[in-house]
Amino acid sequence: MTELGHFAAFLALAFALASGVSGLSGRREAAASFILGSCAAMSLAFLTLVYAFARSDFSVALVANHSHTLKPMIYKLAGTWGNHEGSMALWCLVMVGFGAAGAVRLRTGRAAFEARALGVQGLLAAGSLAYLLFASSPFTRLADPPLQGASLNPLLQDPALALHPPMLYLGYVGYSFVFALAAAGLIEGRIDRTWARSARNWAMAAFVPLTAGILLGSIWAYYELGWGGWWFWDPVENASLMPWLIGAALMHSLIVTEKRGSFAVWTALLAVLAFLFSILGAFLVRSGILTSVHAFAVDPTRGLVLLIGLLVYGGAALALFAWQAPRLKGGPPWQAISREGALMGNNLVFTVATATVLLGTLFPLIAEGFGRQMSVGEPYFQLTFTPIMLAALIALPLVQAWAWGRARLDGAWKWLAGLAVLTGLFWLLGIGPLDIPLGAGFGVALGLWLVASSLVELKRRAIRLERIFRLPARVWGMSLAHLGLGLFVIGAVVETSQRYETTLDLAIGEQAQVAGWSVSLEDMRLIEGPNWEAQRADLVISRGDSQVTLQPEKRFYPAARMPTTETAIHKTGTGDFYAALGDRRRVDGELRWTFRAYYNPMIDMLFAGVIVMTLGGLVAVAGRRRRKAVADETSKAAALPAE
Amino acid sequence: MKALIASLFLVLMADGVTLTDQEEARAQALMREIRCVACENEPISQSASDIATNMRERVRRMVADGASDAEVRAWFAERYGEFVLFRPEVKGPADWLLWGAPFALLVTGGLAAFLIARARSTQGEPVEPVEPEALQDE
Repeated sequence: MTELGHFAAFLALAFALASGVSGLSGRREAAASFILGSCAAMSLAFLTLVYAFARSDFSVALVANHSHTLKPMIYKLAGTWGNHEGSMALWCLVMVGFGAAGAVRLRTGRAAFEARALGVQGLLAAGSLAYLLFASSPFTRLADPPLQGASLNPLLQDPALALHPPMLYLGYVGYSFVFALAAAGLIEGRIDRTWARSARNWAMAAFVPLTAGILLGSIWAYYELGWGGWWFWDPVENASLMPWLIGAALMHSLIVTEKRGSFAVWTALLAVLAFLFSILGAFLVRSGILTSVHAFAVDPTRGLVLLIGLLVYGGAALALFAWQAPRLKGGPPWQAISREGALMGNNLVFTVATATVLLGTLFPLIAEGFGRQMSVGEPYFQLTFTPIMLAALIALPLVQAWAWGRARLDGAWKWLAGLAVLTGLFWLLGIGPLDIPLGAGFGVALGLWLVASSLVELKRRAIRLERIFRLPARVWGMSLAHLGLGLFVIGAVVETSQRYETTLDLAIGEQAQVAGWSVSLEDMRLIEGPNWEAQRADLVISRGDSQVTLQPEKRFYPAARMPTTETAIHKTGTGDFYAALGDRRRVDGELRWTFRAYYNPMIDMLFAGVIVMTLGGLVAVAGRRRRKAVADETSKAAALPAE
Repeated sequence: MKALIASLFLVLMADGVTLTDQEEARAQALMREIRCVACENEPISQSASDIATNMRERVRRMVADGASDAEVRAWFAERYGEFVLFRPEVKGPADWLLWGAPFALLVTGGLAAFLIARARSTQGEPVEPVEPEALQDE
């Protein structure tokens, strides 16, 4: 079976190359057929890998190294992409998958452009497939298969994390097709409104799963790593944040290009950068040049190949860009105070934020090259990234109603006054009953203000409230995304400023106080799971009348010889009481256990905010699909006044 | 035996520094920005290792003794190297680049954006405002 898969992957490579050649020479139908063939072959290749994992076929080196017969079936299957080679196979599959989707769905009425886009996608896929087959083949057999596998990293034995990589890859690799569209548009010298309308669909199709993937990773880190936090500014997290930030900038810039034909050069640059940052992310994570708690599947030589790929793709795209950018046309004139100006401000903030994350992530690495050992962590990003993003958050309600070309400033003052009143209110409350610092009071006011302004804007677009469901899907998408952003801000501010964390050291029968809760350790037991054994604590927490038993565990996976923490979380309605079991110590002849205990207020609001943002993207994607037929007819009538 | 009990007593004493709520909050904030020397990229507030436990105790004790945040950071940097500070100190021109570049980029980018906007608005014909997509008033 695996040999069949190996052969199919070579076939996929040949087809991808063929689609590259035929596409770039302008034959759309040939390129489409080849990339569909490549997708079919790669699907077969990937399925043989999944099948080998399902059957625990340890004669395949990948399965022997990353699976185990005692693992539950779903994690055997998820094990296919829970390692370097398998995840590269998934990467290739998603890439030819996007190519195949483009072959079917990309209909702009410009066959030459579509052929070139499919051709570029074919070449990108050929590069990835060559990397897969020649630098990290998952199809290698062992001459002497072991009787038992070496298991998968048990930290990854988790539903959120089984889904996290496929989601993230849909996002990362989705930007390869946006890259291909930009390259094809640049070759033709046409980055115009028709181009942007089509590119916007694909950029959204990448942005939504990327957001969902980052969210899943964050949720997983929250309850699995046992640190009580949701974002650690770890290099691996930063690697996924950078394409997301560029993707967010691109979403906004594409709107200007679609509606007005302006920002063509800038939009093309962002479309290219989104994918380059995705590859950079893969390089940073895989090469192991950065120390990270999440580092997995690390190998420096493979990193080198990725770096070369990054330089080749990046160099080619930027050269193409530099050559064609002067020929791209702009839209009608606009003044600084206009929708164009506002979206330019948005793009400025998002790109500077991306540059900040890049600088903070790479700086220690560069410093090490000069013989200096240093760290850049959370405090740095809170003092640089956060205030820069704050500029965009404060501006959003002021500018979201602005017209294209030229806008009036008068509405802005009302919104500013609203923010001032809300902030004053929370400061008064903060000094009094809520007991929160001034900065947090402002943050909560800002979040509520964002929520309110997104709803007001939705209503304004509908003119009358009962008509809001007749608004176009993209208006709903925008409103939901901004609403989710507001919820996220509230949750993030409250969680970051009000969380309480402490370390407890308890013997059985002992009590302690945490954030108004009394905590007592009733019992410690040994329990056994399918492929692990664990110490489980019975931790009774009580406050007032309510009493709950939390059962944090420390699991040990004998096959991987690795411990993991299983946190226990009690949702109080306003936040999470969160406990993680640490080490056992013998003090004075008495056994004591260490616990990390946290109170995380409003953490669900933060996750819910990102879910609402993702939903906004989904609504926009689904709505655009439905509208497309209508748009095709009306577009001739409404024919692009700029051209 | 007596000596052993005495030393155990000392260890327990070190564990038992009591802080006011304000001091505890300050100590926790410091623990979140000091890096554990034995782990991969974790602050001492999170790490379960023995050395992190000792480092946490040291932070608490220094805060109880009235040390300022800067003094605590300086002590750790002196003892373990600047590697342990997640908030890098500004010591040379490279650090100015690290801390200053984001804001410098924002300012120069903003200036460039403003100049572009001005250039785009003064291209002859008057600018007509166009409302963003919305339902029409019936």
